[in-house]
Amino acid sequence: MVQFNLPDNSKLTDGDYYKSEKSNGNTKKFKIYRWSPDDEKNPRMDTYEVDLDDCGPMVLDAVMKIKSEIDTSLTFRRSCREGICGSCAMNIDGTNTLACTKAISDVKGDIKIYPLPHMPVIKDLVTNLKTLYKQLKSIKPWLMNKKQNANDTENIQSRNDREKLDGLYECILCACCSTSCPSYWWNSDKYLGPAVLLQSYRWLQDSRDEERKERLKELDDTFKVYRCHTIMNCTQACPKGLNPAKAIAGIKQMIAQQ
Amino acid sequence: MSAKNTWKLHRWSTILLLPLIVYLFIKIIHLSTLPYHLILSELSNLWGVGFILIFTVLGLVHMNTGVHEILDDYVHSDVVKRILNVIISIFFLLVLIFVCLSLLLIFIG
Repeated sequence: MVQFNLPDNSKLTDGDYYKSEKSNGNTKKFKIYRWSPDDEKNPRMDTYEVDLDDCGPMVLDAVMKIKSEIDTSLTFRRSCREGICGSCAMNIDGTNTLACTKAISDVKGDIKIYPLPHMPVIKDLVTNLKTLYKQLKSIKPWLMNKKQNANDTENIQSRNDREKLDGLYECILCACCSTSCPSYWWNSDKYLGPAVLLQSYRWLQDSRDEERKERLKELDDTFKVYRCHTIMNCTQACPKGLNPAKAIAGIKQMIAQQ
Repeated sequence: MSAKNTWKLHRWSTILLLPLIVYLFIKIIHLSTLPYHLILSELSNLWGVGFILIFTVLGLVHMNTGVHEILDDYVHSDVVKRILNVIISIFFLLVLIFVCLSLLLIFIG
């Protein structure tokens, strides 16, 4: 059965408080989830006061400042710092988003930062995304075209066909959508989740792909697609403004018409 | 039944039930204004019996697929799921038998 209560060793406790040296008034409190596999301790919420006059405008700037100047043990993923790589996906102020594109000024009061929900935590804000990548591999996210391989010629696509991929190819696989989906929380081992299904739809919509039938046959499963109950959290969470729920509806329609 | 057909069945039963529910509400309001013997005669005519049967069968199909969706969502143990499936099937069968018997009693007076 689904587990509704947190195990005892997962209950959050109050952590350390790191006061800002400057007390000019323009500081903000960042409450950050901390957990390390190295000790037996429960996760805790550490509080850091950050001087906003000496910090970049985005949440990622503040988190990086905390790591470099206040607490070097804070662990998180980041890379491009411009919303392209998807590494810094985390739960900020109750919403899954990218720390690099979330402005500090957008959050009123203290900023609470947690790892992506319902994922196994490796350390602090770093979650284990192995299942998601395995699921992505299962949908074969590449072009399958026998003719092109045989003739080694250019595979031309019309403008209209190319336009069908708009709103799909932009996905950066940050996992904000999948980890905001209650259906994915409950059945992440079997349900593919919005991120992977959006990718799947991207290849189903590609006019150059010749394996549409096979792809749809693979998806016609009680769990892979049909656990989506149109809750729409995915669409609300997507930091790139994409619509995974619409893509899933498109997949259902394609399967139904097959 | 394949996942696709189960999904289609759930959607089609929803679409078909919508006008039937509206009709049912109108009918209930209409019946509430009638005396008891007229209510019995309204329910025992062929259209009344047919409507109740269609509504019951469609409703049970819709509920059955809906409950199975919920079981698939929340119940992860195959054994527990199987037991619950049997209990639910028996329950729906009993409801159907109860409705059929009630209609038969009304129909034969």
